Amino acid sequence: MGKTRARPQLSNNNYSITKKMYKQTDGSVHRSGDRTSPISVILVSSGSRGNKLLFRYPFQRVPEGASSLATKQRSPYALNPTGDVLEDQDGDSRFSDIILATILATKSDMCGKKFELKIDNIRFVGHPTLLQTPHTIQVSKTDPSPKREMPTMILFSVVFALRANADPSVIGCMHNLSRRIAIALQHEERRCQYLTREAKLMLAVQDEVTAMTENENSPQSPFRQILPKCKLAWDLKEAYDSLCTTGIVRLHINNWLEVSFCLPHKIHHVGGNHIAPEALERCLKAIRPYHALLLLENEKAVLGQMPLDCSPALVRLIKTCSAVKNLQQLAQDADLALLQVFQISAHLVYWGKAIIIYPLCENNVYMLSPHASICLYSSLAEQFSQQFPGNDLPSMLAKFSLPISLSEFRNPLDAPVQEVQLIQMVVWLLQRRLLIQLHTYVCLLVPPGQDEPGPWDEEPPLVACVGGRSLSTPSALSFGSPTSSDDMTLTSPSMDNSSAELLPGTDSPLNRRMTETLLASLTEHERQAILSVPAAQNPEDLRMFARLLHYFRGHHHLEEIMYNENMRRSQLKMLFDKFRSVLVITNHEDPVISIFQSPLE
Amino acid sequence: MDKKLIGCPVCIEHKKYSRNALLFNLGFVCDAQAKTCALEPIVKKLSGYLTTLELETGFISNEESKQKLVPIMSTLLEDLNAKGACTLPIDESNTIHLKLIEQRKDPQIVQEYDVPVFTESKDHFIKSQWDLTTQQIFPYIDGFRHIQKISAEADVELNLVRIAVQNLLYYGVVTLVSIFQYSNVYCTTPKIQNLIDDKPIQEQCLAYVTKPGQKRASLRDVFQLYCGLSPGTTVRDLCSRYAQQLQRVDERKLVQFGLMKGLIRRLQKYPVKVVRDERSRPPRLYTGCHSYDEICCKTGMSYKELDERLENDPNIIVCWK
Repeated sequence: MGKTRARPQLSNNNYSITKKMYKQTDGSVHRSGDRTSPISVILVSSGSRGNKLLFRYPFQRVPEGASSLATKQRSPYALNPTGDVLEDQDGDSRFSDIILATILATKSDMCGKKFELKIDNIRFVGHPTLLQTPHTIQVSKTDPSPKREMPTMILFSVVFALRANADPSVIGCMHNLSRRIAIALQHEERRCQYLTREAKLMLAVQDEVTAMTENENSPQSPFRQILPKCKLAWDLKEAYDSLCTTGIVRLHINNWLEVSFCLPHKIHHVGGNHIAPEALERCLKAIRPYHALLLLENEKAVLGQMPLDCSPALVRLIKTCSAVKNLQQLAQDADLALLQVFQISAHLVYWGKAIIIYPLCENNVYMLSPHASICLYSSLAEQFSQQFPGNDLPSMLAKFSLPISLSEFRNPLDAPVQEVQLIQMVVWLLQRRLLIQLHTYVCLLVPPGQDEPGPWDEEPPLVACVGGRSLSTPSALSFGSPTSSDDMTLTSPSMDNSSAELLPGTDSPLNRRMTETLLASLTEHERQAILSVPAAQNPEDLRMFARLLHYFRGHHHLEEIMYNENMRRSQLKMLFDKFRSVLVITNHEDPVISIFQSPLE
Repeated sequence: MDKKLIGCPVCIEHKKYSRNALLFNLGFVCDAQAKTCALEPIVKKLSGYLTTLELETGFISNEESKQKLVPIMSTLLEDLNAKGACTLPIDESNTIHLKLIEQRKDPQIVQEYDVPVFTESKDHFIKSQWDLTTQQIFPYIDGFRHIQKISAEADVELNLVRIAVQNLLYYGVVTLVSIFQYSNVYCTTPKIQNLIDDKPIQEQCLAYVTKPGQKRASLRDVFQLYCGLSPGTTVRDLCSRYAQQLQRVDERKLVQFGLMKGLIRRLQKYPVKVVRDERSRPPRLYTGCHSYDEICCKTGMSYKELDERLENDPNIIVCWK
């Protein structure tokens, strides 16, 4: 156990004590935005004229005078009464242009690789790119006159300055962006010397302003003058601004090449915490055909954000997807391969345009998400009342306080119009991450050996404790509203996971042997316990149990078993009930897709 | 190259040096993927020491004493890698002590209705290493008293208790759970699977929740009890339904362990005043942002009183989450 860290001494003043507590992120983007936003963007180049800093944004605040800085000196133990930092102590203002040019413009053998340099509180990330190899600068051999050297650029680098404590994944993303811009610039340079022209412009303006400053003695930032004259400078400024706000960058280098990029940390954040890209990727890898894609805005809005030359498959998919269709059906309806549908869905999820859910159906059970904001005055409450006049959000959310299935939620006496509105409301709540869906998970746990099996029949049945769900058959609902999940699973082909090798029907020796083999993976004690259940006397039931044995580890929920094994919900529930003395059932959210509702800890 | 270099360059300007300045840099070479924030203070400290040594005795510019750097550097490398700390004797009068301090993330704010519980056995806690406030509240941290109660019983001001517990939280000595009442409602999280998959957690759990003096509870019983916790079921209901399983299990410890390891989570009630006439004041506490726990702590009402008051109010709806 270490000693308490050196901290300001506790004084008797209550007010000051409160201030010393760690500030909690209050769920606002601002605090987490600090760590995921860049501090500045810098363009440097290295060439025959040496290392140059071409552009830098935001502009440096020209220091008023040295005296104001001196008064800010204070002891590190003094309390900061305002609690806010007035000047950004992590900023890169102490690095002058020349120093930055020297440290950020690397030698040519560092090109084509990630460049990362950390100085105290700032981390610089970039991807130096070679424009031409230094030895192949063309020299005309026949020209006897002293060679007038054209100033040439050998390499350049778009560098982002970040806070030192930025997440490694943020650093990786910024490097990615730097590389993308570099590739576009390299291409344009080769095609029409775009970069050289822009660089010349920038340097010319810088020289102009320096000359002016010397004369007039009023310090000005040369970059401010560059901005209106230089398209590249404008692009870089835009990239910086987008990164700090929405996290989506869309540039058109030289009005020709598009560079697009998104920072997942800004896009996917729930309740003030961002979802790590690795978690996102893990989730995307685990999508199954029975999942569905839910667009986060309406179709028109999403289509409007797509670039003009986007793939027609993407457009088709967006137009065809719906909250009630699983990905397999979507593939059929949009006439695309399932793999392609997976890829496009993953793409849409990554860019924050959609999330993965289990398709809406009658038997889905929803509950209020622990991260949902129930606040009376939240902006969500206002949006909800505008979208669904006459309803208020807290009352709606209160209905989901206890897990409730969609069939219970709907009132069968309601008019169809109201029914449709209810479904729309549920979709709205899902889009805003206010609801989580609960699934049933089963685990095989036999009672311990020495004790006698207790009087299990007297106990209340250990089936899913979620309301009084009736095992309803699919009711005749209007088109577009959720149907029973049974319908969906029965039309799906079994995947490789199913153990369909067991022939249904009679108690043939083949089947008996297969059952035995399956049960052989258990311990003797477990096998005895299973065989002593009264239902095990029925060979059909025992066979089904043995077949599904590998699902009873608590990792597969009911709907997944239904999908893989092509079984009805009622069949499975009966089986669970018969073998309840050796099974334990629980309900919780699906960890694979729950990352959209709750950030991982 | 796949390596990372950490250094702190120093420049000492003086006419006695051959170029009017001495520049040196002692640093570390690490794997590019390694987390090296803990090494930075060490590098800084070392550069400060070396600067002082140079200014006082010309340690580095002198060729002879410079040779001493080689064994110093190898000791530094070996000891830091092995023990995370090292002691470097420079000469008869100077010794440098260095230690790797682990960087931890900022702890959450501690509220008055949170309950601190020790993550390891209380016997491992060496009181004398901690400050006076922590020593004073130490006997009252039992995993069931909440901050407000600790403050009242230990006679320590509330904010001081909050800070002291936050400090303990930072070092991972305690973790926070919610107040236990038999009327509480909990539900399982996906992490409940860890109880089945993870052997060490299983062992820890069974040892923790078994009533003292009884034979160890069976995994099935404990797992059934956890799975019996669900929305709509209070702990009291659980006790009556699963009386057989609870013969060897202490339900309070069961809930405590479940919360500490994230196997279950508490469902809190949040009252919201949805209907009010224009003339009345806007609700201060019934906005959906404050749980029953918080309201009870702040107003001094008991849970039952608050419940009765709100159940009968038609303008207030209650959400559980």
